Amino acid sequence: MNQKRTMTLNLTDQEMSVLDQLSVQKDLSKTALIRQALRLYQLVDARITRGEKLFFEDQDKQKAELMVL
Amino acid sequence: MDAQTGAPVDAEIFDEVALAHFIETQAEWRPVILAAARALSQQPNQGLLIPRHFHWDWTRKEAELKLLAVKFYGLGCEGKLQGIMKVETVAHSCRLPEQQGKPLVYIDYVESAPWNIKKLMGALGQPQRYRAVGTRLFEAAVLQSQEEGFRGRLGLHSLPGSEGFYINECGMTPVGRDPHKENLLWCEFTPEQAERYLAGE
Repeated sequence: MNQKRTMTLNLTDQEMSVLDQLSVQKDLSKTALIRQALRLYQLVDARITRGEKLFFEDQDKQKAELMVL
Repeated sequence: MDAQTGAPVDAEIFDEVALAHFIETQAEWRPVILAAARALSQQPNQGLLIPRHFHWDWTRKEAELKLLAVKFYGLGCEGKLQGIMKVETVAHSCRLPEQQGKPLVYIDYVESAPWNIKKLMGALGQPQRYRAVGTRLFEAAVLQSQEEGFRGRLGLHSLPGSEGFYINECGMTPVGRDPHKENLLWCEFTPEQAERYLAGE
């Protein structure tokens, strides 16, 4: 199993507020939420790097491509 | 567990799965599975027993070995791979009303070596080698969910032949058929169900 390392994360009040809100909403610790975000970012980046596109579809089935930097 | 004697055997669950393990499934498992599927297809009324996973190819998942969102587990015993599982830790969420939208560990693929599947070995006239390989891997997924901070929440699309195992033996809740996934049955674990499962209740 992988060992974990500790780091300090500096966030603005607004970013911390969003982190708090999402932690409650998703029933996750702040650390677990940040790890989720990292995993999702890597997954999306890997698929876009190999030429795939990321779309959101609204309730009317209209698709909008999401640009990820 | 030895399928013939019922005696427990030493086995190792590991998450350092590599391409060599995928190749092992193709080289050693797939020929046995295909031979068994062929034998089953030639028996009257046995078509429904042909394993739905006979065409799986784990080597196609090599690129996913590098992704944080994907985790592979293997179960080894007596120097051979006895089972393998792929779980995903992002992009899936709970569907049960009481935990809707919360993250879970999703079991994408789980497979036992063919010599551990009774009906396949029966078709080839050979004895089953080990039992409970799938159970041990399922347990690893539950523990992974707790490690991720998901409190044991778990979800999967069950193949038709495995629904009884997940519902009756594991205690998962059958949520409903998923028209976006070949109409397979979506099953889910709540934290309380996961605790009961790990406690052996």
